[in-house]
Amino acid sequence: MTFVVTDNCIKCKYMDCVEVCPVDCFYEGENMLVIHPDECIDCGVCEPECPAEAIFPDTKAGLESWLKLNADYALVWPNITIKREPPADAKEFDSVPGKFEQCFSSNPGQGD
Amino acid sequence: MKIDHISEHGIRRLVDEFYARVRADTELAPIFNRAIPGDWGLHLATMRDFWSSVMLTSGRYKGNPVAVHLRIEGMVPRLFDRWLELFGETCGELFDDSLAEAFRAKALRIAESLKLALFYRPDRPWPRSVP
Repeated sequence: MTFVVTDNCIKCKYMDCVEVCPVDCFYEGENMLVIHPDECIDCGVCEPECPAEAIFPDTKAGLESWLKLNADYALVWPNITIKREPPADAKEFDSVPGKFEQCFSSNPGQGD
Repeated sequence: MKIDHISEHGIRRLVDEFYARVRADTELAPIFNRAIPGDWGLHLATMRDFWSSVMLTSGRYKGNPVAVHLRIEGMVPRLFDRWLELFGETCGELFDDSLAEAFRAKALRIAESLKLALFYRPDRPWPRSVP
């Protein structure tokens, strides 16, 4: 079992989660983060830390596609353990619908 | 008087008391003594940091427990059950009911996650038929 980052992280990418994660299992894309499901120990510390409320346990219904996206991109994006400044326009994108279709980038982020 | 809120002090008592029991337990002591042949002080400090990170979101622990457990020889699922029993007992003696339950619930999730990482194989049923 693992936690999963979902669409509201896209273009918000606050990164509060990476500071509290005890096992450094976040990986950074250009405009969102993902969790490596084989490294996450299901401790749940990150979930309440996310200002965008984008992190859920994989036991929640309907997250299959997000679990796959997290698993796939955790293998190719760089690890991130140190929080940086979130995007200047993060707040404007919070809770905007359809972010995955319109904004998701498969490019890697800069990592630590 | 049982501890009724999460603190570094409570975590220290839990870790000290729990691992004293582990080291006296016929099932767990052998595997822990093989995995930690030297400085238990270092392990206890690591575990205080771990539980501080998990229960107080202090960020003090940084590590990869899945990889650490994968390196230990002789791991079987039953050891996790025994670990959880001893941990639950220790929590019950030190903490009030709701705090003990908060620690137990967290430990159960993490143990399940580590068990999956160590023993789950897509071609075998989970969880009863694993070795």
